[in-house]
Amino acid sequence: MWKILRIIQNNNLFVKMFLVMVLSIISVSVLITFSTIRMSNNLFMETFSITNTKVLNQIKQQFESFSYSVVYTSINVQNNATIKRMLTEEYVSSLEASSSFYTIQQQMDTLYNDSPNEANMIILGENERLFNMKYLNWPVSAETLSTHRITERARANPDEILYQFVSDGDITNDTPMVVATKALKERSSSHIYGYLYIPIRELDLRGFFEDYTSEGNSVHIVNGSGKIISSNNQELIGQDSPELLAYAKETEENSLEYQEVNIFNKNQLLLSSALPALDLYIVNLVDQEAVIHNLVNTKEVALISTGIVLIAVVVVFIISRRMTNSITRIVRQISNISKYDFSKPIDERGGYEARKIAHAFNYMLNELQEHVDVLLRSQRKQRKSELEALQHQINPHFLYNTLTSIKFLVKEGKKEEAFETMDALIPLLQNALGNVDETITVEQEITNINHYVLINQMRYGDRIKVNSLISPDCLHYHLPKLVIQPFIENAFFHAFTEKKQGFIQILIARRNEQLVCEVIDTGDGMQIENMKSHQGKRQLFSGIGVRNVHERIQLLFGEEYGVEISSELKKGTKVKITLPLLDEKSKYSNKSKNNTKDRFIDGGNF
Amino acid sequence: MKDFHYKKSWLIALALAVFLVLAACSSDEESGASGDGGEEPDKITAWAWDPNFNIAALDIAKESYDDDIDLEIIENAQDDIVSKLNTGLSSGSMKGMPNIVLIEDQRAQSFLQSYPDAFYPIDDYINPDDFASYKLAPTSFDDQQYGLPFDTGVTGLFFRTDYLEEAGYSMEDLTDITWEKYIEIGQDVKEKTGKDMISLDPNDLGIIRIMIQSAGVWYVDEEGTNVNITDNEPLRKAFENYKAMMEADFIKANSDWSQYLAAFNGGDVATVPSGNWIGASIEAEEEQSGNWGVAPIPRLDMDGAVNASNLGGSSFYVLDIPGKEQAAEFLGDTFGADEEFYQELVNEVGALGTYTPASDGEAYQKENEFFGDQSLISDFSTWVEDIPSVNYGMHTYAIEDILAAEMQNYLKGKSLDDALADAQGQAEAQLK
Repeated sequence: MWKILRIIQNNNLFVKMFLVMVLSIISVSVLITFSTIRMSNNLFMETFSITNTKVLNQIKQQFESFSYSVVYTSINVQNNATIKRMLTEEYVSSLEASSSFYTIQQQMDTLYNDSPNEANMIILGENERLFNMKYLNWPVSAETLSTHRITERARANPDEILYQFVSDGDITNDTPMVVATKALKERSSSHIYGYLYIPIRELDLRGFFEDYTSEGNSVHIVNGSGKIISSNNQELIGQDSPELLAYAKETEENSLEYQEVNIFNKNQLLLSSALPALDLYIVNLVDQEAVIHNLVNTKEVALISTGIVLIAVVVVFIISRRMTNSITRIVRQISNISKYDFSKPIDERGGYEARKIAHAFNYMLNELQEHVDVLLRSQRKQRKSELEALQHQINPHFLYNTLTSIKFLVKEGKKEEAFETMDALIPLLQNALGNVDETITVEQEITNINHYVLINQMRYGDRIKVNSLISPDCLHYHLPKLVIQPFIENAFFHAFTEKKQGFIQILIARRNEQLVCEVIDTGDGMQIENMKSHQGKRQLFSGIGVRNVHERIQLLFGEEYGVEISSELKKGTKVKITLPLLDEKSKYSNKSKNNTKDRFIDGGNF
Repeated sequence: MKDFHYKKSWLIALALAVFLVLAACSSDEESGASGDGGEEPDKITAWAWDPNFNIAALDIAKESYDDDIDLEIIENAQDDIVSKLNTGLSSGSMKGMPNIVLIEDQRAQSFLQSYPDAFYPIDDYINPDDFASYKLAPTSFDDQQYGLPFDTGVTGLFFRTDYLEEAGYSMEDLTDITWEKYIEIGQDVKEKTGKDMISLDPNDLGIIRIMIQSAGVWYVDEEGTNVNITDNEPLRKAFENYKAMMEADFIKANSDWSQYLAAFNGGDVATVPSGNWIGASIEAEEEQSGNWGVAPIPRLDMDGAVNASNLGGSSFYVLDIPGKEQAAEFLGDTFGADEEFYQELVNEVGALGTYTPASDGEAYQKENEFFGDQSLISDFSTWVEDIPSVNYGMHTYAIEDILAAEMQNYLKGKSLDDALADAQGQAEAQLK
């Protein structure tokens, strides 16, 4: 878990970029896909409704022309005096019968020519005489027809042309048909002398519209009572569907171009056109699923989009990975520089931008490095000259006092002691005025300290005793000049103001690969705060003070070295100086790297 | 530079990948090209009329055919077949045309001569010598046999034995009579039984054709091209007979085929002078079994007239459209070769084919129970031999329409000379 978080954090830029890109790609594709599908669907529906409206109009025209022929024929039959006479007259002779049959057939032939090809024409007279132009289509007898319901309805509505559906199996030889019926009525007396039937077989009627239909695009003819009288779906023929009629009426009444309905258990687009003269509705149903499925391959569109998204994501992944990787690496390297080394340049790799950034960074780093070097060098130089100056300032009072002591010793005839003091002073001066850079061995330092102590004891007496304890294996190690002397001086002149006598211990030993020098006095001790006031005080021997020592050591050797002071009132003070182990060889390398140093010599024991 | 190449190759790879994906998505549309308009249709269609006879014969042929055939038999009125064929063939579009079509012999020439390329010669599938010779002339053209001769159309006088017996007539009284005698008997029957003698459709002069062919003439001369009406003595006689029948007032008028059938099936008429094929429709009314007999057709009262004629014999034709070989093979193997099939045809339908090798079969000698155990087929076969051969020419029905109109005028009182002269004039003008 942590690992994943870490990875995410490390690739923060990449994750952000990638996520944003992926989300954008996906949302763009999804939106485009959906809007494409929706748009094509809408467009399709629009075009479809336009073309289907046209188709519907054409079908309507066919029906209207059929209806017109029927009206025309029925008017002609109604007006045909010969037919009327033949249908009404009672005859006896074969001759008359033959003549009338011939005539009526001739008349009907003429009239029938106006009728659409596939329609039949039957005329039934009140004298039960029947004339059938296409007996094969409907071999019906006069007896059957005159009592049939369609005749009864025609009789009930003598002024109307009725389009009546006769289902299969009825009397029609298993062929459903639509029969236009019209009673032939004598105008003056309203006497019905015969009936005109114009039957058209359903399958011929279907011919009006069947060419316009296809799978999922069906046409149904519904009559005023909701019966489907013709359809390209033959199962529906003869069935009652008030639902369909209701929808058709609704569409027609509201002048809708089309409406979406659920009928026959399918979502369909319904277009409708009314044929008021025939009391019929032409209903065009478009199965949305089937048709749209054929037209818009949603699956294909989705597949293409998915494919594009996948490719884009892979490409984005690779490209952004390449870009962010180089940037992330730069960032990681930069953040590590502060931890390790400023001088180490970062890799100039990766994309153009990353390389430029890295290059600029490296350039800046170099400049900075140079600048810092210059700064450091001048600082050191300054410090060195400062220390040098301090070191060379041998306190004139020290010389004056020492020389005064020697004069008194000589005066008192302590020739030997005077001589001794002189001997101590000479190397001490020699050492102090020498090169600041130089280091001296522990042995030499001790000698110097001894000289210094001797001079002080000559002058102030030996109430303060100085012992030095040096581990023999340390004698050959080197240490900078004037490192221990300031603390001895400090102890001499400040530690014993209340106590008038005591000891100062000098311990030098090797500990944990370090050279440790301790200056311990048994004097008054002090508050650590007091140290600061001491520090401001003028030094008695040279310009080098306690404060400088710590600073100088750290400047020379690094942070882990330096001076530690611990003190306790009435008990004394302990100064611990930690130095690296320097031998003859390393002394020069060290010296070249750093700088400065003064020296100090003092005498030891009294 | 190197980097640039690297980047570029990436772009190319990307473009390629996108292209491949898109191509894969859209490629499936191409497959599944449809073979255009199969050469061989999966079913053979046949058009015919008269379910009791022609259609029934085709059904039997289909059953007895050894090979598997998907034959769809479509019933159409003869007039419809004629008009559809005319429409289809004259437009040159064979779409919706059947493979096999039945055409009446009297019309055949008009089709064969008008549309010789539309029909498929079947000489390779049958031996024309196997068929009655009088069938070959109307069914062939340019020395090629197009039609497969089917039924004879030999005529007989079907009559109700019970009605005639009631009027005092027997089979002998009806055998080898003239039309004058027939009218005489008819009047008698009408008087005694109240039944009409015959049912006629005034638009159809079939009975006239029966009469004139029995005298060996037709509406056109022997060449088949010149209208032969005014000087046609048998036709004149036939007209007179027709008018005499009308005046005898024993005719039940009908206006279509179903009414014609209803007339004798319903027991309204005593006789049906017609082709032998009407037997099947008569037998359809089983209740009348045993009440029917068949006498030879009456003849015109003149020299050379015989008691035999022909009406409505027809033959099968194969149209020159895909499936023609299959159709011709089917016809050749059944109607053109299968003797047993003809026996069955006789037994089941009473159809008398013109395939001579079959006439020796047992079924031809069989007595028919419905017709009072008369050896019907045998009788018909005998009469076939006497049928005078005539050249029908191309315009039988066009002329007949004119004659039917003039017949009405004649019935209404126009002189026969004028009526025939007018008919001759009209026919010549129309057929020029």
